[in-house]
This record gives sequence, structure tokens and C-alpha cells, in this order.
Amino acid sequence: MTASELGTPIQGVTLYSFTRAFHGREYDLEGLIRKVAAEGYGPGLEIIGFSSFRGFPAIDDRFAGEFRDLVEEQGLVTTSLAINADIGIHRDRLLDQDELVAYMTRQIEAAAKLGFPIARVQISITPDSMERLAPIAEKHGVTLALEVHADQYASHPRILALRDRYEKVGSPYLGFTADWGATVSGFAPSALEAYRRRGASEELLAKVVELWDRYYEQGPPADQAEHGQRFGSFIGLAAQHGRSDLGIDFGINGTGLFGPARVDDWLEIMPWIRHVHGKFFGIDENGEEPSVPVRDLIRLLVENGYSGAVSSEYEGWHWNNWQDAFEIVRAEQAVQRSAAENAGSRMITDAAEARSALAAHLAQPVTR
Amino acid sequence: MISDRIIEQGTLTTDGSRASVEVRLPWYRALPGSCIGQAQLTIDGVEAPVDSLRWRMNGREFTFAELSSNTEEWWFPTDSAVLSGDLAIDGDAEHEVRVDLTVYIPYIIIGDGETLHIEENSTKTMKAVAA
Repeated sequence: MTASELGTPIQGVTLYSFTRAFHGREYDLEGLIRKVAAEGYGPGLEIIGFSSFRGFPAIDDRFAGEFRDLVEEQGLVTTSLAINADIGIHRDRLLDQDELVAYMTRQIEAAAKLGFPIARVQISITPDSMERLAPIAEKHGVTLALEVHADQYASHPRILALRDRYEKVGSPYLGFTADWGATVSGFAPSALEAYRRRGASEELLAKVVELWDRYYEQGPPADQAEHGQRFGSFIGLAAQHGRSDLGIDFGINGTGLFGPARVDDWLEIMPWIRHVHGKFFGIDENGEEPSVPVRDLIRLLVENGYSGAVSSEYEGWHWNNWQDAFEIVRAEQAVQRSAAENAGSRMITDAAEARSALAAHLAQPVTR
Repeated sequence: MISDRIIEQGTLTTDGSRASVEVRLPWYRALPGSCIGQAQLTIDGVEAPVDSLRWRMNGREFTFAELSSNTEEWWFPTDSAVLSGDLAIDGDAEHEVRVDLTVYIPYIIIGDGETLHIEENSTKTMKAVAA
């Protein structure tokens, strides 16, 4: 493929979008998979191992077979299994990298068993450890897509160090998951509404927006220290207004969910983007995402020839308990499809086409 | 986070000297015992002694010290755990129940090797049932 060919991204969803419905026991895993298929949120299907599979990463053969049959019967295509780098699993110390490699290996094996061609991995894995995991990924036929998530972003030093190592190793099994939360353009209005409902004053909320906008103008934090300062400034703001109880939440959302990098920052790692988290937080009265530039992000992918999967990842459920996540995802996917068409292409919604497009995307050698 | 769901309505029980209530994970994915930090159980403004608190999940009962080093037993997001402590309350009467819970998020490291923890609480009023 040449860079001038337009991409056709694959539509899909992560079950993480429906956390409230699963956690609230409205749908079990099978019910949720059937719902995704019936409502047309696929064909791409992403699942978080530790959220949806009891006993994960241990997966017995019978369960794996039933799961794969269900996905196929429902006309869905497994894209990414989100696995976790739980480096802080012990209370008194962090895992060393040997332990972390072993911890990830069990989950990569689970991804292969369940039929996922991609495993989303996380930032605590060093370049050395990613290099060690490459042959394990290859053995199991699972591409490792390390998630670039706020407070990091594509041109962050830690991500560039990974990219440079990928380039040296040259394995098609090492890449990135681009999470759109790194390139947000505003503090999500639905989050502000949730704080309003918790009694936050309009004055405080205006200050939160002002602070976030200032960081957007400055661009993303250069390093962990600057990230920490910003986190602390949200806590300080809440304290100044007598709402210390909201401070950590402002900090987590303002720095860890709403990352202020620009859309074209993704170009730094574009050839290594194997999967995309279409992170978003809500849909406004005009049917648009008010704080994530979904249209620009889809255009960027299309124009750069991306034909991998985009998992719609609705994360407004953390605070939005007054709107239906299923309807919100439906509306966001309509924006994605419209954006792809406006960019002269389309989203893939057919399962067979999605399967072959994803296989071709993952087999593609990296060329800069 | 799903802090509004920590306490399961209608699950307060008492045997005269101890009280217990069912609690739900305020997070989206399973966490091992080692990531379940401190808890408090407060009924009608009276806090159960910390040393008396016990945690039941997956059919086993744990002290919080036992949980802190356990990476084998996992709290699945759709399962209820049971928090109990020494509190003498009246059966068959309404009580205000508050649960405070700290959970560690093992893949989010902040600063110098410190694992992010979140502190959540919820208060609900419900009738106690004699065990």
C-alpha cells in the first residue's frame, strides 16, 4: 500500500463502553455480545480480559470454543483483547520486568486461545521487555499494540523510545494502539454536568475549563514531572473553592482522560498504529462529540491509509448515569461513518471484509 | 468509577453482635485481594473497629492483612463481596449504612513507583435482617 491510498477503517466497539450495563448485571457477556451484533455496533469486537472473563487469564478450552463459536455466529470479528500490565499488583513493590514479561505472556496466550489477533498492552512495559515479548507474540500470532493513552501521547519521550526500538527490532508483531483520549480538544461537557449535579458552583466549573484550556494551549506535558504539577493544580483549584472532595477526580479526568495533544501528533507513530481506541465522552444535541475531534481523527486515519479497526470506546459512563450508553455509541459511530465518507472513503461494516482487511493490516510491514 | 453502586441495597444483616453488608467493586475490571485496601463500615454513625472487619469473597473469609498479600483470589466485577464487623445493631429496623473502600489500580503508576489508589464511599439506608 502506498501512502496515497485512502484507508477504510473497520467499525467496531469495545465492551468497556457498556461497563455500567455489565456491572449492573443487565447483560452478561453472552448477552452483551448478542446486543452488539443485533444493534450493528460491530463487526469489530474488543474485550477487556480482566473485565469480562472470570478467572482471566486462565481460559479453559471448552469456554474458548464456545466463545469463538458465538462471535462467529453473531457475525462479529474479534479485534483486540485488552490485557493489563499490572506492575503494581503487589502492595509493597513493583513487579520487575522478568515478572512483568511472564505476567503478559499468560495473557497473550489467552488472547490467542480466544481468537484475538491483537493484544492491547500498556505503558509499564519497557522497550527491552517489548523486544523480549516479540517472539512470544509471533509464536502465538498475536500483535502487541501498546496503548498510547493520556497522559502520554505519540511524541512523548517514552513512546518515541518504544517506536525507535520497534524500528530496530523490525517485527510486525510490535505496534501501538492509538487512544483518542490523548488528543482531546476540551474538558468534556458531560463531566462538567456531572460535577454540577454534585453541587459544584458555576464559578468553579468555569475555572476548571479555563485551567484545562490553558494546558491545551501549552500542549501536552513534557514529562512525568510536568504531568504531576498539572494534576496537583486541579487538586489545588478544587481546594481553593472548598470542594477538595472533587480534586482528585478533576486531576484524573483533566490529565489522564482529556489529553491535550493535537491530532497530527499521531503522525509520529502512524506506521506502527495497529489498533485504535475511538475514545469519546458524549454526544451533544447536534449529534456531534463536543470534546473529541472525531471527524479530524477519522480523516487522519483515512488519509494515512489506515484500514485497521477502530473500537468505539465510550468513557462518559464514569460520570454519566442519566443517558443510555447504547444510544451514545450508536450516535458516535454515525459520526465516524460520516467523517470517513467526507474524507472520500468509508468505514468497513461487513464482517467478511473486516476479517480480511484486518488480516492485511496486521500483516503489513512497517515502512516509514 | 461506579461509587454509587458500592452498597447493595437490602443486604444488611445482623446476628446481634456483628453486622454485614454486601458490597460491589467500584471499578470496571477484576482486582486481586492485594488491590483491596482499607475499608470502613459505619452504621448510624458508629464505625466498626478496624480489627474486627472481615471480607468474604469467592466463598472464603479474609482479614484485610490477608488480602493485602493475596494475588490469587480475584474480585470479579459482577460479584458481591461481604464486609462485616463488630457492631451491635437492632434487627428489623432501618439503619444508615456507610461503606468506605480504597482500591489500588495496579496498572497505573503515579510518581515514584506509587500505585494509584482510589477512595470511594457510599451511604444507603436500609432495614437490617436478623441472620
